[in-house]
Amino acid sequence: MELFLQQLISGISIGAIYSLLAVGYALVYSVYNFTNWAFDAFMAFGAFMAFTAISSLFLPFWAAMIISIVLTILLSVGTEKLAYSTLRRRKAPRLFMMISAMGVNLAIVNLINKAFGGTFRKFPIEDVQPIFIGNISIGRMDLIAGLISFGVLGLLWLFLYRTKWGLGIRASAIDILSASLMGINNDAVAMLIFTTTGVLSSVAGVFYGIKYAVYPMMGIVTIKAMIASIVGGLGSLPAAIVGSMILGILETMVSGYISSSYRDLFSFLFLILILLFFPNGLMGKSGEEKL
Amino acid sequence: MNTQLRNDEILTTHDLTVDFGGVRAVNKVSITLHKGELVGLIGPNGAGKTTVFNLITNAIRPTAGQILLHGKSILGKSPDKICRLGISRTFQNIRLFPQMTAYENVELGLHSSPKYSIAEAFVRLPHASRIEKGTRKRALELLEIVNLKEHANERASSLPYGLQRRLEIARAMATSPQLLLLDEPAAGMNEDECNDLVKLIHEIHTAMKYTTLMIEHHMAVVMDLCECIYVLNLGSLLTQGIPKEIQNDPQVIKAYLGERKNVRTANPS
Amino acid sequence: MGYINAIIILGGINIIAALGVAILTGYTGLFSIGHAGFMALGGYMSAILVKEFSVPFPIALLAGGFFAGLCSFIIGYPAFRSRLRGDYFAIATLGFSEAIRLLLNNTKMIGNINLGGAFGYMNIPSHTNVLVVVISLILALFFAHMFVTSQYGKNCIAVSQDEVAAQMMGVNLLKTKLTALFISAFYAGVAGGLLGFYFAYLSPSFFSITKSSDLLAAVVFGGIQSLIGPLITAFVLIAVPEFLRSLAEWRLIIYGCLFVVVMIFRPQGLFGYVEMNLNFVRVMWNKLFGRKTAKASEG
Repeated sequence: MELFLQQLISGISIGAIYSLLAVGYALVYSVYNFTNWAFDAFMAFGAFMAFTAISSLFLPFWAAMIISIVLTILLSVGTEKLAYSTLRRRKAPRLFMMISAMGVNLAIVNLINKAFGGTFRKFPIEDVQPIFIGNISIGRMDLIAGLISFGVLGLLWLFLYRTKWGLGIRASAIDILSASLMGINNDAVAMLIFTTTGVLSSVAGVFYGIKYAVYPMMGIVTIKAMIASIVGGLGSLPAAIVGSMILGILETMVSGYISSSYRDLFSFLFLILILLFFPNGLMGKSGEEKL
Repeated sequence: MNTQLRNDEILTTHDLTVDFGGVRAVNKVSITLHKGELVGLIGPNGAGKTTVFNLITNAIRPTAGQILLHGKSILGKSPDKICRLGISRTFQNIRLFPQMTAYENVELGLHSSPKYSIAEAFVRLPHASRIEKGTRKRALELLEIVNLKEHANERASSLPYGLQRRLEIARAMATSPQLLLLDEPAAGMNEDECNDLVKLIHEIHTAMKYTTLMIEHHMAVVMDLCECIYVLNLGSLLTQGIPKEIQNDPQVIKAYLGERKNVRTANPS
Repeated sequence: MGYINAIIILGGINIIAALGVAILTGYTGLFSIGHAGFMALGGYMSAILVKEFSVPFPIALLAGGFFAGLCSFIIGYPAFRSRLRGDYFAIATLGFSEAIRLLLNNTKMIGNINLGGAFGYMNIPSHTNVLVVVISLILALFFAHMFVTSQYGKNCIAVSQDEVAAQMMGVNLLKTKLTALFISAFYAGVAGGLLGFYFAYLSPSFFSITKSSDLLAAVVFGGIQSLIGPLITAFVLIAVPEFLRSLAEWRLIIYGCLFVVVMIFRPQGLFGYVEMNLNFVRVMWNKLFGRKTAKASEG
């Protein structure tokens, strides 16, 4: 029983991190209809920036977090402007956008690898004592990661559903052309979306780095987020969160009860099973093309 | 529901309905097409005409209603199966294969179901070569019919708009349809081009005897070509009849000219 | 001399795998970042067949390819069957490839067979030499050319340019995509096999995302809807780094930047859509073998 609760809590915490990534992925997908492979790189970048701020500049954690967020936003928006905007305006096919995104990803991840080396680094914060409830230990960072992640998601929700700009984004997710005809500035929307992506990926990167390790290929975990997004139902943000929590909890269970090396294999099989039986994802809505 | 099938009923829809969220785009539309008829589907913008086409070809699933091809339901069949069963179409916003030549576009319609086995694809025996020769010949014939033979080797995306529309028709014909759905074939054409198109469609219809359902906004084209016209407004069938009747029908005129705001809901009263 | 041999062999192997990716991505428009996984499947399977079961080398090679092809249905069927527009397949290729690598890394023994896990599968008989690779390459190119010029290949091209229109005109999307996927996985599997029989050793680390990225690069740079383009690029991408060792660390960074540059300035790649190249091969083939195949659009 204790193992179960332990795993559950750990699962929720990793699910929260996946949620950040999954929402970022779903946001870009629902508006632009392509998979932003560079997300992988943004996450690693965010983690490394925070890591450097603390270990080389000796800044406190919160300052490092903010620096990381700001720099990742710059990276994300820069990527949009350089690599995507031209293709977007040209209405390039999805294949081309994905190739461009993969290019950005390759370049940045390998740049990080060259600059920092491939060793697994421990995130430089002091080991904190876990909190004990009964016999169950809850990692303090797990708790913080969970709270901050949900906090960020909450802010995002407020932004999307309670502000004018958020409305613009949601309109663009339905149809970019109509949205622009209604006076919504496509370029401004792109900036907003990729700024959001920058925030989400850097926060996720930092907490993932804390929970596991910081290394150039760490962004590969975004594939879990993509899987979670599909499982929930591609294109829907709440579904991305639901999918992430389910995936995070299930895979931690597998890791705890079966074996940690098969955790990733499980996630992939889970994706296949879901696609077989729920082609729309669990909560998916149909996205049919206009003819 | 009239269950008696007249022998020449090609397509029948019964109370075809589709809702998108809270909006009822198509409401209980019942259409019958008889063999060899050239029928028009008209209505103001947003009336749901293209949606009807999309429902018939199963690009979108209906919320309710039935679609019968030769008396058999085609609900839920994949669009490619529906094409093989005999329904072909053109698109409101032209959907040619942009980087393929005019010839290749038409040829695709002929071999979308490959005519030889995959093994023969790898080792092209005389049998497969013969088939390919036949396909080539037929594709060129179709291009000839729509007067595009000189443009056979040009990329579809570089063809002028009017020629692209004709090419789409040729490609649709390549699938050997029994029912041809034309979605605004005259869109964007000036008067001369419209006249040419009317002539072309008339020739094709006379020669091939396709049952044809045509969405069109150019009234001259519709009145010239169609024996029977259905009028759609706000998702529902307003009326149907022969061109003369439709032209003088006050309801139709009001639908086109009226500026009233009508909000469609899923439960129209 | 041995150095040149190595380049020809490794280049040839890369070309074969790249031709497979060309069929899937270049001709059918399906993004894959997972073909290293198919190389691994084919490689290990054919190596096991020869080393443990003494299956004759050519048969084992083909069997490895078939095995990879069959495995491709695991991701292909659920992904392509879905009615929704989504990058399911692309994501699944990444997940699949990583899952295979992880599986191989963590599997020391299957029954009595010692796969070695992360240490690799050792003592594979050495069957690959220049002749084998050249023969395989010629066959691979021939059959790929036959496929892409056939009605099946043309349907793939239509799917890549507008799959909705293709479906409406009667193309069965599921079958078409699965066919392209199977063939591409087969090619990758054979390439993987040749690799194993060359190094006499296979390690899961050979089949990482880097390998998949290399294959994708060959097609992106070589050209959409072309076989000659990826052929040339696949060879160059193996040969050039050999001569530019100092730039090795920058290789993937350069590729990444080039992906973006190519997409913005010349998305069709170096030899994309150039019909002439295919006709060139056909004309050469006719000259060599005297078979009559008329050109596509005479009229």
